[in-house]
Amino acid sequence: MKKSGKYIISKKIDGVFTTLYDVYRFLLRFFKEVLFPPYEFKELVKQCYDIGYKSLPLITLTGFITGLVFTKQSRPSLAEFGAASWLPSLVSIAIIRALAPLVTALIAAGKVGSQIGAELGSMKVTEQIDAMEVSGTNPFKFLVVTRMIATTFMIPILAIYTGVVALAGSFINVTQNEQTSFSSFVESSLQNISFLDLFSSVIKATLFGFTIGAVGCYQGYNSSKGTEGVGKAANSAVVVSMFLIFIEEILVVQVVNAIR
Amino acid sequence: METSENKRSVIVGIFVFLGIVLFVAGIFTLAGQQKRFVKSIELNAIFDNVAGLKVGNNVWFSGVKIGTVKKIDFYGTSQVKIKMNVEQEAQKYIHKNATAQISSEGFIGNRIIVIEGGNINLPVVESGDRLHVKKALSTDAMLEDLQANNRNLIEITGNLKVISGKMANGEGAIGALLTDSLMAGNLKNTMAGLNSASQNINRTAVSLSAFSNKLNTKGGLVDELLTDTGVFSQLEGSVGNIRKLSVAAASLSEDLSTAGQKLNDKNNAIGVLLNDQESAASLKKTLTNLETSSQKLDENLEALQHNFLLRGFFRKKAKEEEKMK
Repeated sequence: MKKSGKYIISKKIDGVFTTLYDVYRFLLRFFKEVLFPPYEFKELVKQCYDIGYKSLPLITLTGFITGLVFTKQSRPSLAEFGAASWLPSLVSIAIIRALAPLVTALIAAGKVGSQIGAELGSMKVTEQIDAMEVSGTNPFKFLVVTRMIATTFMIPILAIYTGVVALAGSFINVTQNEQTSFSSFVESSLQNISFLDLFSSVIKATLFGFTIGAVGCYQGYNSSKGTEGVGKAANSAVVVSMFLIFIEEILVVQVVNAIR
Repeated sequence: METSENKRSVIVGIFVFLGIVLFVAGIFTLAGQQKRFVKSIELNAIFDNVAGLKVGNNVWFSGVKIGTVKKIDFYGTSQVKIKMNVEQEAQKYIHKNATAQISSEGFIGNRIIVIEGGNINLPVVESGDRLHVKKALSTDAMLEDLQANNRNLIEITGNLKVISGKMANGEGAIGALLTDSLMAGNLKNTMAGLNSASQNINRTAVSLSAFSNKLNTKGGLVDELLTDTGVFSQLEGSVGNIRKLSVAAASLSEDLSTAGQKLNDKNNAIGVLLNDQESAASLKKTLTNLETSSQKLDENLEALQHNFLLRGFFRKKAKEEEKMK
């Protein structure tokens, strides 16, 4: 948003704070719109389907490979001092505490965030959003709220799938090398996992989902400059959401460790 | 369009439902593993040092997980009070004088509390009871002992170094043995001699063994002596008789000695005969006279046989003797 007159600090710094203010207003509007009817359930289900269900194959493959490869790569270090039996415990801690929500969020940021940014950006530059307003439909509620809610709810569910599939990949590798039974694997996997780990992981995924939705919608909804702006919106949606995901990861880990 | 939307809704519903089911299943599995749904009792223990024990660490009894550490608080000036949840199922195995000890799941594993059951004659613990604490073997103590061993090892190797140096220089008996070829030759000969002696000893031992086997042969004298009580009593009787006989022999010998002494005296007939030379000469003369007399008597009797008065009697007697044959 352009400001007339003199800049308070400098053009760039003022621009950063202006963007933050715009984000604040965007989020405030979201919370206002989400609480009050009318609710766009059909669009919400459609978004959940697109964001959640359609991402499942990609997430499943990524999660499986993550679990398998992480186990395979961790084995030599543990086997070196005869602690290969700790692999399930180590891998499950890594997957449940960090990898499942993080990998899911990063994949979703790439797939869903860019999709949302490009979709809303193209609608913006082609003035479809303005047309919706003219036709009496609240474009923010229909386009933004549904997508943000969908990402907020679907990413944690995808993270749960990722966790399960990654542990399955880990189990396959462990059972191939150590002939560990499934029950023994589950037993040792959950040995060092607490409820705090489970809930913090789900909460973290929820936060990541909200971030992906918010960043994608914000970038798309506020895109400009024609088709170039659409590409920029899609790109920014991915880059900014990934950056914020890592920042949030650090913050959440600090908070969880303080509680632990 | 409507059908497509319905289908999409169902798919999303199933997708969300399965996600939630997996999450709930994870929670229940975790809760089951952590015995969250199992009835438990609370036990306490006060340790001087918990060595990094954390809330949620396991409590073991006979190698089986029976609970978890619930709370860790400081107690008194520097002690630590541990509250632990223990399965009610395991309560019957833990008695009043049971002990709790800080241990480890492995060499580098998590800290755990190990409970030892105590005396079975005592009643079982109840919720809120405080367990006795058994001091764990700390790594620091082990390292201290190891350090002492290291110092000893250094001293021993130092001594060995000195000894081996002396040996290499030919000092002392072993050094001389190693360096002096003559001494080594002597030692070799000695060893050969010892070897031969040991072979002889072996042979002797074999012979002794054979001999002892013979002694132990059933029915042998030694075997009878050692095993048959009848033979022993007979032998004992014989020894008694020999003892009596020796007493009698001693008495006889004494009598003989007395008699000998008397024979040496001249106050009796035999003593006079044996010791008095005059009497002996007189007796000798008497005997000579007797011999002469008997010869003369013999001649006289011969003459009588040829006398006419007695000749008939002798002829008659000779005929009767002839008939008797």
